[in-house]
Amino acid sequence: MTERIKQYLGDLFCVYTIISVAGAVVNLIAGTKTSNENVLVMFLICAAATFVLHLHRLFDGVSPLVMIIIQYLAACILIGVILLVASALTRPVTLKGLLEYYRSFTIPYIILAGLYYYRVFSETRKQEELIREIQDMER
Amino acid sequence: MKLNLYEIKNVSEEHADIYYAGMRPVIKQLIDTAKSERPVLQGRPADEDQDDGTEVILDPANIYYLDHIDRRLFAYTRDGVFRLMNTLSSCEEMLWNYGFVRVSKSNLINIYKVRQLKPDVNMRVYAFFDNGERICVNRSYRKSFGEYLRKMRRMQG
Repeated sequence: MTERIKQYLGDLFCVYTIISVAGAVVNLIAGTKTSNENVLVMFLICAAATFVLHLHRLFDGVSPLVMIIIQYLAACILIGVILLVASALTRPVTLKGLLEYYRSFTIPYIILAGLYYYRVFSETRKQEELIREIQDMER
Repeated sequence: MKLNLYEIKNVSEEHADIYYAGMRPVIKQLIDTAKSERPVLQGRPADEDQDDGTEVILDPANIYYLDHIDRRLFAYTRDGVFRLMNTLSSCEEMLWNYGFVRVSKSNLINIYKVRQLKPDVNMRVYAFFDNGERICVNRSYRKSFGEYLRKMRRMQG
């Protein structure tokens, strides 16, 4: 259990650092600024998304595609709850803001899911080549 | 591999010398054979109608895959399905050098019998065998499966 928590925290810090740096670069290029509330919400969203992705072992029985969809829906629900809480504690989040949050979560998710899809195919091709080589050498 | 056989009628002790460049799985298999330690699996036909009580000796090279169902272990060969008395983990250890690798909680596959490795649109990866059957390479075992293949490839030089 402790090992899993350590692994989760390690992944979360990596994810948050990458997103935070990427956000800073985007802000520099676009000349925009982000608020303290945004930074906190971004961290909570990272925590929720990393948590959901860490549950992948629970979905060993289903296909990776189904797992990706289930995890996306679970992450959407969690983010919805986070935004509702944030909305109640600070300023209310407008509908446009809500859609923006989902968009900025969905786009990287789809890109990463695509990368995962590609990796499965390329890795399988490499493994098949290895099997062929092993079989040929044994003959 | 070059093989020299010498028939000497009055030899006091039969022996075999093996010259090898690296300890590859095939060399280990030869050593096992020379020491009479080559693993053989004993099984009985899974089909009860065919089971007359006699045990069948199975050569690992003829097995496509092992399947653990309902606490029973089955070996799938071209000649049929046989029930084994071993455990899956003991087979995994025993047959490591013979091309058997774990691909899920309940399956060991023989990589020498794999005809094709193919993912489907759902991203599940399947190993297809000569006999037309297929076994899913579970996501959790994909990494160790890849490591096993790389290690086998390295050992073969």
